[in-house]
Amino acid sequence: MTGMLHVPTASPSTVDDQRLANACASGDTRAFEELYRRFGDRMKSIAWNHLGNTSDAEDAVQETFLKIHRAATTFTGEASFATWAYRILVNTCYDVLRKRRRRIEEAPFDDALEHSAGAVDDLKRLALRKLLDGLAEQRRTVSTLFEIEGLSHAEIAAILGISEGNSKWILFATKKELQEKWKRSQ
Amino acid sequence: MKKDCTQLDDLLFDGSPLAMETAARHAEECDACAETLAAWNDLTATAQTMRAGWENDLLWPRIERALRAEQAAMPPRRDWRRSILRTAAALLLTAGLGGTAYYAVRVQNHDAAFDRDILRLSALDEVERAEQVHVTAIRKLEALAEPRLEQAESPLLVSYKEKLMLLDDAIAECQANIDHNRQNAHLREQLLSMYSEKQQTLRDVLREDTHGTNQ
Repeated sequence: MTGMLHVPTASPSTVDDQRLANACASGDTRAFEELYRRFGDRMKSIAWNHLGNTSDAEDAVQETFLKIHRAATTFTGEASFATWAYRILVNTCYDVLRKRRRRIEEAPFDDALEHSAGAVDDLKRLALRKLLDGLAEQRRTVSTLFEIEGLSHAEIAAILGISEGNSKWILFATKKELQEKWKRSQ
Repeated sequence: MKKDCTQLDDLLFDGSPLAMETAARHAEECDACAETLAAWNDLTATAQTMRAGWENDLLWPRIERALRAEQAAMPPRRDWRRSILRTAAALLLTAGLGGTAYYAVRVQNHDAAFDRDILRLSALDEVERAEQVHVTAIRKLEALAEPRLEQAESPLLVSYKEKLMLLDDAIAECQANIDHNRQNAHLREQLLSMYSEKQQTLRDVLREDTHGTNQ
C-alpha cells in the first residue's frame, strides 16, 4: 500500500512442508519444535494483535499446535504449511473472540507492544488498536496480516480463503474507513 | 481539487512504490490530498510498529507437554493411505474367502440337489412302473368287460359304461397334465384314484354280468 517493507514469510519448499506435515501427523515432537522455532514468533504476534493480551495469545498458539497435530493428515500442500498453520491460528483467535463476546467482557491489553520496534508513540498505537478492534473480523485480519505482519495479499488470500483481489480491496476499503477516523482522532 | 485528485484513490488502491511516489508528488501541490496521504502513511507507519513480540521460555515446554498429553490420550494414529490399503486387502481377502466358500457350498448343494434329483427320478420310475403294472391289469379287466359293455342293455351296465367313458376322459386329461409335470405327486394320486375307480367299476361290470347271467 505505502511501499512498506514486507517481512519475508518463511516459505519452506513443498517437499519440506509435506515432510513437516507428515512428521506432525505422526506426533513427532521435534517437528512441532521446528514449527515453533520457524513460525512461533509470528504466530504469537498474529494472536496478540487479534486478542490483545499475551495470555490469550499464548493459549491460542498452544491450541493451534494441538489442532495442527490433530489435522496434519489433512494438509494437502495446496498452500504452504505456514499459511495453513496461520489459517488455523486465525480461526482459533476468532473462536476466542466469539467466546469473549459471549462473556461480554473485554480482555485487558497488556504490554506486549512495549517490545515493538519503532519510534511512533504509544498513543498512536493505542488509537489504532482501538480502531482495529472496532472492525469486522475479516477486515481486522486483513489489516493485521498486511499492515502489521507484512504478509502479501496472496498469503492473506490463502489464509482467509478469499481471492487476492478481494484481499486487496478489503484492505483499501478498511484503510479508507480508518483514515477518516484517524484524521479526526489526531 | 486538482484534476489528479480524482486519481488518488486509484493510486492508494494500487499501493505499489511507483503509485505511492506518484501520489506523493501530487500531494506536494495539493493540501487536501497531502492531508489524506499523510493520514494514510501514518496509519501504515503506526501499524508497522505494532508487531508484538515477547519472550516466554515456558511457552514451548507448555505446548510440548500439551502435545504429549494429547498423544497419550489419543489412539495410535494410522497413516490413512496404509489404512485404505489394509482395508482394501481385507475386503479382497474376505471377498476371496467368501467366493470360495460360496462356490464350495454351491457345489455341495449342487451335489445334494443332484442326489435328490436322482433319488426323485428313481422313485418316479418306480411309481411309473407300478402304474404301468396297474394299467396292464386294468386293461386285462377292460378286455374282459368290453364285450359285455358293448352289448349293455341293463340300465346299470349302461350307467357303468358311461361312468367308464367319463373316467377314461378324466384319465386322459390327467395323464396329459402329468406328461407336462412328471413329478406332480397330486396328479399321480388323482390318476391312481381314477385307475382304482376304473378297476373297481370294471370288476363291478364283470360281477354284474356274472350276477345277471346267474339270474
